This record gives sequence, structure tokens and C-alpha cells, in this order.
Amino acid sequence: MTHKLQGNVHESNLFQSKTTIWWITFSLLCGATFLTRYYKVLEPDHVCWDETHFGKMASWYINRTFFFDVHPPLGKMLIALSGKLSGYDGTFPFEKPGDKYDGARYQGMRLFCTTLGALVIPLTFLSIWEMTKSLEATFIGTLLLLCDVGFMTLNRYILLDPILLFFMSCSIYGCFKVSTLTNDGLLPFSPRMLSWQIFLGTSLACTMSVKFVGLFVVLFVGLRTVADLWNILGDLSKPVKFTITHLIVRTLTLIVWPFVLYVFFFWIHLTVLSKSGNGDGFYSSGFQARLEGNSLHNASAPRVLAYGALVTLKNHRTGGGYLHSHHHLYPAGVGARQQQITTYTHKDENNRWQIKPYNRERVEGTVVVRSGDLVRVTHAPTGRNLHSHRERAPLTAKHLQVTGYGEDGVGDANDVWKIVISGGKDGEEIQTVRSKLMLVHYLQACVLTTTGKQLPKWGYEQQEVSCNPNLRDKNALWNIEDNVFDDLPKVSFESYASGFLERFYESHAVMFQGNSGLKPKEGEVTSQPWQWPINYRGQFFSGSTHRIYLLGNPVVWWTNLAFLIIFFLVYIINSIKEKRAEAFGVSRQVGEGSLLLNAAGWTFIGWALHYIPFWAMGRVLYFHHYFPALVFSSMLTGILTEYLLSSVRSYLSPELGKTAYHCIIGVVISTTVYSFYLFSPLAYGMSGPLASEPNSTMAGLKWLESWEF
Amino acid sequence: MDTGRCVKNRKINKIRKEVTEPQEYSYSEKTCNSHREVGDGAPAENETEKPELMLTNKMNHSPSRIYLQLKIDVIAIGLLILALCTRLYKLDEPRHIVFDELHYGRYVSLYTKGVFFFDAHPPLGKQLLYLAGSIAGYDGNFTFDRIGTPYTDNVPVKALRLVPAVSGSFLVLITYFLMLELSLHQWTAILAALLVLLENCFLAQSRFMLLESIQILFGLCGVYCIIKSTKRIGLTALVWLCAAAVLLGCCFSVKYSGLYTYYLSLFLVGRHIWLQLDQIKSGTRLLFSALWRFAVLLIIPLAVYVSVFYMHLSMLPKAGPHDSVMTSAFQASLQGGLASITHGQPLHVAHGSQITLRHTHGRTCWLHSHAHVYPVRYADGRGSSHQQQVTCYSFKDVNNWWIVKRPDQASLAVSRPPDAIRHGDIVQLLHGITSRALNSHDVAAAVSPQSQEVSCYIDYNVSMPAQNLWRVDIVNRDSEESTWDSIRSLVRLVHVDTGSGLRYSGRQLPAWGFHQHEIVADKVLSHQDTIWNVEEHRYTKADDRKERERELVTAEMIPTAVTQLTFWEKFTELQYKMIAHAPDAPHGHMFASEPAEWPLLVRSIAYWLSPDSNAQIHLIGNIVTWYTGTISVVVYSALLAIYSVRKRRACEDLPPFVLNKFYETGYTLFLGYWLHYLPYFFIDRTLFLHHYLPAYIFKILLLAYIMDHIYLVLQLHEKTKHVTNLFILCVTIWLSYIVLTFKKFSVLNYGNVDLKENDLMSLRWKDTWDFILHKKI
Repeated sequence: MTHKLQGNVHESNLFQSKTTIWWITFSLLCGATFLTRYYKVLEPDHVCWDETHFGKMASWYINRTFFFDVHPPLGKMLIALSGKLSGYDGTFPFEKPGDKYDGARYQGMRLFCTTLGALVIPLTFLSIWEMTKSLEATFIGTLLLLCDVGFMTLNRYILLDPILLFFMSCSIYGCFKVSTLTNDGLLPFSPRMLSWQIFLGTSLACTMSVKFVGLFVVLFVGLRTVADLWNILGDLSKPVKFTITHLIVRTLTLIVWPFVLYVFFFWIHLTVLSKSGNGDGFYSSGFQARLEGNSLHNASAPRVLAYGALVTLKNHRTGGGYLHSHHHLYPAGVGARQQQITTYTHKDENNRWQIKPYNRERVEGTVVVRSGDLVRVTHAPTGRNLHSHRERAPLTAKHLQVTGYGEDGVGDANDVWKIVISGGKDGEEIQTVRSKLMLVHYLQACVLTTTGKQLPKWGYEQQEVSCNPNLRDKNALWNIEDNVFDDLPKVSFESYASGFLERFYESHAVMFQGNSGLKPKEGEVTSQPWQWPINYRGQFFSGSTHRIYLLGNPVVWWTNLAFLIIFFLVYIINSIKEKRAEAFGVSRQVGEGSLLLNAAGWTFIGWALHYIPFWAMGRVLYFHHYFPALVFSSMLTGILTEYLLSSVRSYLSPELGKTAYHCIIGVVISTTVYSFYLFSPLAYGMSGPLASEPNSTMAGLKWLESWEF
Repeated sequence: MDTGRCVKNRKINKIRKEVTEPQEYSYSEKTCNSHREVGDGAPAENETEKPELMLTNKMNHSPSRIYLQLKIDVIAIGLLILALCTRLYKLDEPRHIVFDELHYGRYVSLYTKGVFFFDAHPPLGKQLLYLAGSIAGYDGNFTFDRIGTPYTDNVPVKALRLVPAVSGSFLVLITYFLMLELSLHQWTAILAALLVLLENCFLAQSRFMLLESIQILFGLCGVYCIIKSTKRIGLTALVWLCAAAVLLGCCFSVKYSGLYTYYLSLFLVGRHIWLQLDQIKSGTRLLFSALWRFAVLLIIPLAVYVSVFYMHLSMLPKAGPHDSVMTSAFQASLQGGLASITHGQPLHVAHGSQITLRHTHGRTCWLHSHAHVYPVRYADGRGSSHQQQVTCYSFKDVNNWWIVKRPDQASLAVSRPPDAIRHGDIVQLLHGITSRALNSHDVAAAVSPQSQEVSCYIDYNVSMPAQNLWRVDIVNRDSEESTWDSIRSLVRLVHVDTGSGLRYSGRQLPAWGFHQHEIVADKVLSHQDTIWNVEEHRYTKADDRKERERELVTAEMIPTAVTQLTFWEKFTELQYKMIAHAPDAPHGHMFASEPAEWPLLVRSIAYWLSPDSNAQIHLIGNIVTWYTGTISVVVYSALLAIYSVRKRRACEDLPPFVLNKFYETGYTLFLGYWLHYLPYFFIDRTLFLHHYLPAYIFKILLLAYIMDHIYLVLQLHEKTKHVTNLFILCVTIWLSYIVLTFKKFSVLNYGNVDLKENDLMSLRWKDTWDFILHKKI
């Protein structure tokens, strides 16, 4: 900080030249980014990897057909929008990776994703700058990310990740901008502060609406905000009221506003997808009634259930089918040889059942079935009663078998079921679609349920129905869907159709269930979190003649890994030093070093938040889940390099220090760029023999046995 | 202030006398006496931080010292006797298998017989049960078949249940000492001990052959010793630390959840060192003290853990029905079982060897084929090669035999000397019974279409040539020239034409494949499911096919020597299997619960139901303690937030020693609670209420501390001072509620009272609790 002593004019000159250098660096990096990202971006002209999913979903949005996916809608809607605007008509089937596009206008979508993916780099630059105000740290951090081949590969296709990473970077930038403004003492309601906070809130909402991993960045911003508020609170010259105003403004902009936006995105999603499609089966009857083309749309049925009505019973679990029976018996050796009862996901005449009182065949007039009534349920086409007895169910040993028994509705005492509305009171009327029903077997005290397990061939691969002695079974809920009874006035299904909030809630329930259902199967090779930071194994994006392999630039990744460990050590040593200094009554002064270290600390927290939770996840994990953490890790490397170099420099003489400093920076930059050059074929496409053979272009680059290119 | 407090405490005693039962009468008398001494500075050694106590220290010196020690012991002994009374009362009733006694009892029997078994939990707890059993002369002849089976006379039920019961009783005592050691008021310590004593879930858990009470006792003792050690210096600190290390090692050798207690202790020691950083000037001394502390805390528990396993393995030398999880090499080192089959079999696999190939890691199954073919078309419309099926079969079967053959030799008899197969050699594998060769080709496999199908080749003359050459790739070879040894060598069979490896895919075939497991050839060689080893092995003697088949069907080998595995090899394998072991605990168990439900006691667990009456045993907490405990966690969090914010604004509400104690206790109890509770949110298997107990005991201690803290804060301010009496009254009323609830629910712990439907309904305070009623006949 020698220039502090120099004159005012000199200083402003220096400032001027510094700004110029800043702008030159920034535009250089931006130029390089767009150059590398757009180079050969439209190759290969076939479907790569998960483009098959997201392309398909974009088509569905364009055709407005309903579907089910485990991710929130924003990313896919943006892809669809970009496709629509660039003239894609939604007709290409996106069947499997490797399909040629053959004239389908995929270019718009791919360019859109690539652009968003490219913007991550300038945003990272701005974020590091905001944190450290050190051009060297900023430059190195950004360069590492720019030169990472894997990061580039992931951001060049029609995937959710570029969109996610873009919004995530916006959030990080916004978060540090807000925190700088706070430190500068801006008032909570000043327009500048407010607009940046709204920017941050918007980015958070968008990140969350692309993928649920956006939650980690929300957590990160939350921590950062708490730290900011804590700092404001610690300023004893300001009243507590000041902190409270800050708190209120932040609650509004960072919690309420994003939530409203998030709900809004779902509103668009549910409004756009108005036609029935392949996702219907995952949702409840009320939900389906909203979809054009679904059999429940614009249909009508009596509001309540009366004795003698012909009904279909739909299971309430996600993707649950209709209670079904047919003219086939359980085979020998599987319980009693009586008629099979299953659930079946398609609509069929064999799904129809008739509800009768337990003791009479017929009821005079219209008697409404009420919760707690004892009933018999007769399969309409075959005349057999729903029956259960002390035999084990075909697949689930602990449950009882459910069969069709009797003839023309005449059976025995084991045909009696108690019909109960879950969470309701005895005597309540049973309503079509709305009531969640449980059928409790009167004698065996077990509840009619479906286990979701597929029966073998003899059961036509329909799902097992059984009677569970555990009455708290979550799959044991059913609802009446069709209800045919002539003596009661019909009500349009429109009135059963779920409102927006119900559908919003249900979409989430289904999504979470879908997410937790993504379990690895026994013996399946899945990517594991420990493999990610060491760049253990990649992922093929495209095969055959134009091979693209998602793999990080090992130089970048291994440096990042080393710096994570170095940071840990530096941090511990530093805090011990500080604590020790207290023992001797000296407190260490705050300098540029501590600013850098503090920034490094935050990026470390960011990295940990985006990486460690994966260890605790039971679902299937993929290599590309690590890339958000990589952004933080690269930032950390940049910042820490600068910190270490300036620490080393302070030990050397100014002359020597300067030389060493610049030499090292030069080496770092050239190594990074050269390694990018070496590994870039991974992203731009390889052809010819595999790297394990000597005549390959990639020969000698297969540094780990586990890499498959 | 001291005398004032003493008077107040005596008042509590008076109130107590009114509400508590007569049996506690004498005990209250004693506590009153002793209390006066405490007020005079009784636990002087650990209360030096309190300035007001320092003063009184000087006042009474030598004469009361022995007297004083005795009095403290009286409280402790009183508590212990009470605990023993509740825990040991009619210990051998019911004489039926209760809940997990099913497993632990079975393990005790296996220990008695020395038969190897596999369990995903470490062995110390079971060893302790076995110790009690063997002292009482249990002969191991009882089959623990299902919950509710009556015990026969040869099972020393009382002795077996004694270990957990005594541990459960000492648990009460250790909470008392631990709270004293946290330099809390003696009344607080007594309160904490009473809360543990009057907690139905600890009572239920201590009365049967279950391990939680043992684990918690070890854990709390460990924490107690750690706190002792952090308050001492020099040799005493070392001794206490060593004791702590041993106890903690024992703790996680009983159940792995004990590791959380260990982490808590590591944190406490780390914090202790951290606090010393700005106090001690000498850097070397500091470094030295940090080093020896961590060395002790790392090495001793690990040593305890390893030695427990050493005992475990040396106690179980015999093979049994449960060893099939282990690798062939492990099984062969046990007496009997596989060892008796494989001893005396030739070591080197040679041309003409008859072998069974076992899938080494994961599911136990053997490479298998049978005279059935793949269906021409699968259900999804894909075609197959229609050749003979190759599967992985989980049972021993004559169809598991394969013959190793060099491609260029016709005769199958083993030459003399045998023509040993080495690493890198190319072989064919003939299926013993059908004599067809193991084959793979570019046809998608039945269930995993991304991999190649493996079949036994049938020549249909349809331009599908045999591709039956396999390269032997020995994974654990010493040199490139290694021979293929039975049992010891782990091999990968690489298909020569396509470079794919023979692999167990983990999926089951449909009915046409008899639900056996699928075998495929997979491009990814590095997966551990591609690893196989030869288990049974013998040389073919006859060249004639019929003769060979007869050999296969009738062969029986006579054992001669035991293969040896070192302890470390066995230890590492056992550890690996325990980690990799996927528990097949029934999902959707009737009494399973979620971690989020625990703090509100949503579910109980039914342990036992009498076969002829409605007497039953449940694991259920004392709901009054349980809920106030949950509230105390909330209160502590709120106070923590308030105090931090106030401190940040530089407002000093509390004197530093109160605040310090607040943080100190928080680090142990609050952190201890979350450390034992939070991890369960990330565990993906069936969980039960008893998993919450280690966290719960910390919660009870925190509850007692919160009471202490509120009392202290009330005392501090002049305005609120007169409220303290009211507070004490409230606490007393609350405590009597706890006693009543405990008494009411203890019928569900002792299981000795026939309950009518009405009784059960009156106990069903939450409609999520499920009790069991026999059906009226």
C-alpha cells in the first residue's frame, strides 16, 4: 500500500489505470468465454444424453400436454420458450440419445442454454471481485472455471444444469453485492439496496424453480444474510430499530417475494399444461378432472355415494391404480384358489364395483352410504364379493390374501367391510372423489391396500392387492372415481376439480415421492460423492463417431481439491495464531489478508453446502451434481492463491517478491490454459480409437484407469 | 444467600413430604440433612468457580469432612436402591421372549456353543449378556424362534436380564454424578436422577435383554470422566481421560450409535484445549497436552474396539448356518461347515478341475446353469439367443459345478502333475451336468439389456458361432505368473471376444428363470460384482462323461487341515461386511417411527403380549417428562438466541458466571442431544423409538438444567425473588404428576397386570398409540 503516500492526482491516475485494466481483463475473459462456448456448439446434431428428457418435456410444453417430472418447472419452461421463439414446433420425438435431429430446429434451445451457461463465467468474475476487490484473485478464480472442460461440456446442451448454474451465479453475485452495500452503510429502503435485494430474491426463486438443489444456495444466502444482520446488530452506534428495519426488508425481498414468484411459476406450469398426457396417472382424480381429454374432464356424477351405485375405486398412492378383478383364479399354491383381485392402472369395465349393505341384497329408495357403515363390495361383471381371509397374500407374507368370493353377490361373513373416511367422523356422507376411504375388514381387522408389487404372469403383471393388519398403512386410502347412480342428481366434475393451491400442493407431494423413489437398484453402478472431487469417472454425453465425455479438467479439479485442504489448514493455523496472540495480549490487526481469508471462508461454506448434503442422500446420484460446488471451489482456489502469494511476498524483499509473484501467476495461467487445450477434445468431440490405444488423439491423456474415453 | 437457599430447600422437602409416597419418606429425611452440608460448601472440589461458596469453604474444615462424604453417598445410594428396586422387581417375569430378546438371546446361545454368526452391530453388549448367561450356567439349548415363546427352565432369564437391569439402575446414579460434575446445584442433580428413575422408557428398556441401557451407561460414564479430566491437570487428568477413553470405546463397541457420544467427547476435549490457547504461555506445553489427549482418545477406544472383536472371533470358532454372508476364505477358516468340505481339496485350479464359482462380494450365490433355455421372446418383445440359461443360484446344488478346460485339449482328466491355470490364461468353462460351455455374445441380457447375455452354448447352426473363451484375470495376484488357487484367488472372467467381464447383475429373472439371479457380461470391469472365487474344487479323474457325472453327484471330500486366516484379515472382512450389509429389516414395520415423530412421542413399540391375558409390555415414555423435555429444548434455544443478541448489543443481563455455566452446559447437553438425534434424519432404514433414547437422556439432563437456570435467574433479581417459592411449588406439582404418570404406565413395563379394555383405553392418551387387545372368543 505504498501509493497511499503519493499525491492525490497520482492516486486518481492510478485509479483510472486500474479501472482500465479491470475492464480489459473482464472483456478478455468474456470474449474467451463466448469463443470457447460457441465453438462447434451445434455439433453433434443428434440428441445428447439427457437432452432426450428435457427436449421431450419442452415438446410437451409446446403441445401443452401434461407430464410428470421430479424437477420444478421453470428450467423446462424456459427451454420450451426458447424453442418456441426459435421456431421449434414440438414434433421431434427425442426418443433416445443418438437420434439425428434431421431438420428439427433444436439450435435455438441449444444456443439459449449455452448462452446462459456462458454467462456463469462473467457472473463468477463479478462475484469474486465483489468479495475480494482483488483483480488477481478474481482473474485466477474465473480462469479456472473458464478452462474447466467439464464445466463447459455440461453448459453446452439442452439441459437444466446451465440454467440452474446461471441463476445460482446470479444469486451468489446478488448476495455479495447486497452484503457490500450493507457494509457501506446503505439505508434499508434506499432504491439501490432495494433493487439489488429484489434481484437477489428473484434469482433465488428462479434457482429453486429449476431444480430443488437450488435449496442449497438459498441456505447459503440465508447464512450470509444472517451474518450481515449480525454485523448491523453489532454496530452499537445504530439503534436496534435499524436492524429490525433491515430484517423486515430482507424478509419481504428474500422470503416473501421469492415464494410468490415460485408459486407463480407453478401457476404458469399448471395453466400451460392443460391437456391430458402421460403424467395423469400420477395424480389424484380431482387433479385429473382439470385436464382436457381426460375421461374425468367435463364428466358428471352424483355428489355422494348411495347403496347400489356402480363405482370405481382408485388407490390414493402416487400412480395407484383402480381396484380390479377378472375371471381368473389365484393359481394353486398361492393361497385359496379363488378369484384374483388386483389394481390396474387403465380404465376398464372390470374396474366396476357395486356397494351393498352387509345384510341385504337390495335397498329401497336412495340410502346414502356413511362413514362407519358395514358394506359388501361386489365386482359388477363377475358377481363376486370382495373377500379376505387368513391366508397369506401372494407376494407380501405379512398381509392377508384378498379374493373374489361367492356367487352373484352371495358369499359369507368374510365379505363384510367397514367403510371409513380417513380423518372423518362416523356418520359422514361418503363423497365422490373427495373422500379418502379405508375399507377395514370386519372379521380380520385388516385394511384393504395395494402393495404396489407386480404379480407374476398369472396375475397379468397387475399389482398385488392385500389386506394389511397394520391399519396405519399409507397406501390403504381409496377414493370413488366413477359413480353411476340414476336416482341422485348429478354434479359436474368441475366442482371436484382441485383448486390451484391443492394442485400446487399435490404436485409437490408427487415430486418429492418421485425424488425419493429414485433409489439405486441392487448391483447398479451409481456415482458416489467421494468420486466427484477427485474427478474419478465421467459420463458419456454422446457416443459412436462423435464422442463427447463429461469430465473435469484434471489440472483444475486436482488443484481445487488441494486448495480445499490447504484452506482448511490455513484457516486452522490462522485461528490458533489469533487465539495464541491473545495469550500474549496482542491482537492481530485486520488487513487485506483477513478480507481475503474471510472471502475464502464464505466460498468454503458455499462449497460444503453444495457438496456435503449429497453424502446423506439415498437417491441415485450423478457426477454432474458436483458442478455447483465446483463453482465455489474454483472461487476458493483463486482467492487462496492470491492470499498465499501475497503472504509469501511479504516475507521476501520487494524486488524479489514482485518477480516471484509474477512468475508464479504466469505459470498458473499458462498451465491452466494449456491443460484446457489438451483436454478440450473431450468437449468438442473425439473420433477414432479410444484413448487406451496408442494411435488415438487422446493417447497419454488417460491419467486415471477409471476414465472411459 | 446460602443459608437462605438452604431454608428454601428445606421447604421443598416439606412439600415433598406431603406429596410423595411413604416409601420415599426416609429418603427425603436424609436428603434434607445432607443438603445443609451442601449449602455449607459440600462438593467443594468442583464448585470452586462459585465465589460465594469459596467463602464458606474456610468456615468448616476438617471435622465435617468424613461426615460430608458419607452424606453424599447416602443420596447416591438412596437413588441407586430406588433404581434397583424398580429395575429388578420381578425381573424374570414375563418368562417369555420379549421383543429383541429374540435376537440377542439367540446370539447368547450361539456364543455358548461357539458357532459363528453375523450381525451388523458390534459384539460387546452381546458378550456381556453371554458372560452373565455362562456364569448362571446357561447351556445354549434354547431356540429363540419368535417373540412370545415361553422360556424353558434351562434359560437363566434373571441372570441374562440382570446386566441391562443393573446398567439401567446405575444410569440413574451416573446422571446424578454427571449433573454434579457440571457444577450444578445438588437439587438439580437429584431432580435429573429422579427424572431418569421415573422414566418408563428407560425402565422398559432396562428390564429385558436389550443393549441400549448398557450403551447409554458407558456413554454417560465416558462423558463424566471427560468432564472430570478437563477440570484436572497432570496425572489425575490423564487417569480420568484414560478411563473415559476405555468407557467410550466400550460404548461404541456395544452399538455404533455410541460413536456420537464419542464425537461429543472429542468435541469437549477439543474445546478444552482451545480454551487453554489464550491462557497458557508455553507453546510446547500446550502442544504436548493437546497431543497426549488426542493420542489417548484415539488409540485406547480403537484398541478396545479391536480387542472386543478379537474376543468375538476367538469365541466363535465353529461354522454355522449364519456364515454364508462371509467370503469362502473366511468360511473355510471356521471349524466344520465349508471348512470340512474344502479341506483336502487341491489348491491350484488346473485343466480338468471341477469347481464351483462363488460370487465373492455382496449376495451369496454360485454360478449355475440348468437344462432350460432362455425364452425366444421376452415380455417386452426383445428376442433372446434361445440358448441354455446361466444364472446365479443362492443355494448349493449339483448344477453349480463347472469344469475348467484349456481350449486346445480334449481329455478332461487331470494330468500328473496338474496343468495349473495361471493369470492371463484362456480357458473354457464346461457346465458339469450338461457339458455345455459358458458362452457370451452380442445379445442383450434378459433383465439388464445394456449388458450382454451369458448362456451355455447350444449349436443351433444359425450363424451364431460359439464365443466361449474366457481369460482368467486374477485380481489379487502376487505376480503376473500367479496360479489360480481355490478359495484364495479372486478372479475376473473376461470374455475374450468382447472384453466384457462375467458379472452378477443384482436383478432377478422372472418365472421362466425360476427367480434366480441374472448373470451378464458387462463392459465395466471394475465393478466388484465381476469378482468370483472358486469355492469347492476337485480334480476330474475319469474321462468318461457318465463317470464324471457320477463323480459330481456322489463326491464327498474328507477334511485334513484348516486353512488359516490371520485375525486382521478376518477383522477387516467382518468390518467391511458390516458396513456393506444392507439390513433386510421389514420396511413398514407396524411399530416403526420417523425421527420427526420422536420428540412428541407419536408412536410406542409393543414389546410383548401375554398369550392368555391382556397383560402387555410397551416401550413408551413418561409423557409428562417427555413433553417438558421437548419444551426445554425450545426454551434453551430461545434463551441462547436472546442472550446472544443481548450480548451483541453489549447488554449484560446476567452475571458472567451464570452465563458461562449456561454456555458450558449447553455445549455438553444441548449439543449432546442434537448430536445423538440429528443423524437419524439421514439414515435410510426402518427406525424405532428406542433409537431416540441416547438423545433423550441428554434431553432430560437439559430439562433439569433449565429448571436450575430459571431458579437462578429468578433468584438474581430482587423483583422476582418472591416468585421462586411459586416456582418451587410448580416444580413439585409437576414432579408429582410425573410420579403419577410413571405409576400409571408402569403396568406396561412390568407386564404383570391383566388389563381390561377400559384400562387400556384409559392409558391410550394419544390416539396414535396402539395397544393390543386379545379378541374375545
